[in-house]
Amino acid sequence: MSLKRIIQIIATIIQNSYIPVFFSGGIYQGILKKGCVPILNCWGCPLAWYSCPMGALQHFIGLKLIPFYILGFFGTIGMVIGRMSCGWICPFGFFQDLLYKIKSVKMKLPKWCSYIKYVILIGVAGIAVYLTGEQWFCKLCPNGTLIAGIPLILADKTGDLRALVGWHFYMKIAILIFVILFSIIIKRFFCRTFCPIGAIYSIFNRFSLLKLKIDKEKCIECKSCQMACPMDVPIYRASNHIDCIRCLDCVKICPTKAIKYELR
Amino acid sequence: MNYGRAALISTFVVGGGQMYSGRFWTGICFAVIFYGSIVLMINIWTELNPAFWGLVAVWILVWLFNIYDAYKGMSYEKPQCEKTCPAGIAPWIYINLVATESKQYYPFVPFFDTLERICPAPCEEHCTRQGINSSVAIKYLKSGVKKTIPSFKQKTKKEKIAIVGAGPCGLTTAYYLAYKGYEAVIYEKEKIPGGVLATLIPEFRLPKSTIDKEIENILNIGIGLKCGIEIGKDLSMDELLKKYDAVFIGTGAWKPEKLGIPGEENALIGFNILEQIKKGKNFNLGRVGVIGGGNTAIDIARSLTRQGNEVKIYYRRSIEDMPAEQENRIETQEEGIEIIPLTLPKEIKKDRVTMVKTECPEGRNGPVKMIQASEFNVALDNVVMAVGQQPETDFLKGYVKLDKFSRIITKNGKTSHPKIFAGGDVVLGSATVAHAVGHGMKTAKRIDFYLKRIPLFLGRLFSKTYQPKVKLLPINDINRITIPHRDIEERIHDFEEVELKVSKEELKREATRCLSCPLRYRP
Repeated sequence: MSLKRIIQIIATIIQNSYIPVFFSGGIYQGILKKGCVPILNCWGCPLAWYSCPMGALQHFIGLKLIPFYILGFFGTIGMVIGRMSCGWICPFGFFQDLLYKIKSVKMKLPKWCSYIKYVILIGVAGIAVYLTGEQWFCKLCPNGTLIAGIPLILADKTGDLRALVGWHFYMKIAILIFVILFSIIIKRFFCRTFCPIGAIYSIFNRFSLLKLKIDKEKCIECKSCQMACPMDVPIYRASNHIDCIRCLDCVKICPTKAIKYELR
Repeated sequence: MNYGRAALISTFVVGGGQMYSGRFWTGICFAVIFYGSIVLMINIWTELNPAFWGLVAVWILVWLFNIYDAYKGMSYEKPQCEKTCPAGIAPWIYINLVATESKQYYPFVPFFDTLERICPAPCEEHCTRQGINSSVAIKYLKSGVKKTIPSFKQKTKKEKIAIVGAGPCGLTTAYYLAYKGYEAVIYEKEKIPGGVLATLIPEFRLPKSTIDKEIENILNIGIGLKCGIEIGKDLSMDELLKKYDAVFIGTGAWKPEKLGIPGEENALIGFNILEQIKKGKNFNLGRVGVIGGGNTAIDIARSLTRQGNEVKIYYRRSIEDMPAEQENRIETQEEGIEIIPLTLPKEIKKDRVTMVKTECPEGRNGPVKMIQASEFNVALDNVVMAVGQQPETDFLKGYVKLDKFSRIITKNGKTSHPKIFAGGDVVLGSATVAHAVGHGMKTAKRIDFYLKRIPLFLGRLFSKTYQPKVKLLPINDINRITIPHRDIEERIHDFEEVELKVSKEELKREATRCLSCPLRYRP
């Protein structure tokens, strides 16, 4: 198992290991929930220790406040490592990585789909939230459905939550199945098309301190970097592409060692 | 493996077809996603509301994809060797079969053994192995592959297709159409089938026994062959269109191009020389200058050298930019034939030729400029022109659209006439056998879709690819095999094959060098 996989597993466990939930039955609401993780991990999950930055961002937008804390948080992480946290510690990204391992018919994502995530960020998680005061992205988020919605409803003993299940929850499950199906067919489908956190980080990819560098002299354009890339980025010609999650797999596998990362 | 049955099983049991075809965990995953979500919905059911239909739509999507997946089988990402192959062969698969000494057979590809000898091998230029030492000998490894030999196939469909030209492209198209159950009839102008392979390419590059066996294998499947009939002369195009449901044109490019210089009528035509050498004529031409840098020019030079003539090749660009196969060119230089680059004839006279120096700074596709006042005379007894060919498509005028080089304009094999299809050199100008085979395969598919009235994109979506069991081998540091050649002194006097065969073990050793990119480089 590679280092990346080990870190992904450890990160998933650290972020979602509030064991007392099995005895007390309530989600964690202590001091750690005031802190954000730098990736998409629903704070409604019964096991979650930390809060989701997207949820926090929408919370402040819904209150019509400027979310200085979250913007600064995204800005700091983005400026230093770009989209690296997507590749190394995002549990939902890890989940999609595993789904793509299923042996099936695989397809390529059209290029324009990479820009849908900006529409989601500005439209669903921005304008819609500002106008209505409701957290619209959280209402649709497949990660929330998977790790918070379904477990909470299945574990519900009193029946209060089950009574709330309506068209909204049906739609959430439909979105989740859709995302899972396409993650089997397409590499990291959700990260590339819908993820608003990825959209924010991808803006910093070009300026971040951590960068990938291609030695054009050594590169033989064998395209094995693109084949091994979990985001299907053509690294050999676009080393700091908006979809690059700095998982550094390409650095490891490049047969000529033409790809290097530098922190400056 | 019966993928149709797998799809049928998957229609009734989601995930069942995948398990049937050996992908157990894929089947489990599909079943969990589909049945799991249904169980979940039953568990938390409250009311029927419009959003439920959205959920139903997603379930149908999962179900449909599960059937499609069972039908298609798993797919690998195409590596560079497969992407760049003009003949549409997957080299990494057959190399893997050789390396693992697999009992599986590679499916029959028309002219596979021919391509082993006369392919420009763009796959080797793009091979990932170059990052470690040098590319795998993809072309040479073809000799170690176990292939299926086609047997006679009963014609199950009533449509008949006429194929004009029994060259590599025509025969390939006919093979794939016959394989699909159509009745294919080939019309050939010459007495023997094979086109350029049978009439032009010299013995030392492609032995007659090989090509005869290949054509026999192809015809085995049940193809009607009518030799000695020229379309437009013995049989009109109208008749052909009336009698058949579709017509395929694969006549190739046979009209020699001209430079348009004074005295060109004194020069010999390259094609005629090759044709007559192949028929057994002995030429005694003395000092010969061959003009051109393609495979034809080099073949002429090597053939004439073998008959005791003193040959030099004149080419207008640099040696690296020659369109001929690199291997062929190097063998030529080994045999002592001088290649004079950056030279163009200006005037041809009976006993001498006026040449002019050229420059082409932009490489193979850039323009060629003559250098002022650099003319010089060369004493030559004969000049042979081999500067490219054009298709002869006069018999098609009024039926299909042609471009200014009298090539047929096609879109995915389809011409402007709904019933006429075309492929090979008649579309490409002058290309290679590999291109012709690839075109033949694609056009046969296109004709199949046309006759079944399936739109192209649907046909492509449901067309199946060959999927054997492949195994990932560890990376080793073996160097590239040196392909043994016959001794130069010996080989320049006869027409026996130049390349020698190596043992099975050495081929296997070479095959283990392949990195199997699609298996190794994946997330």
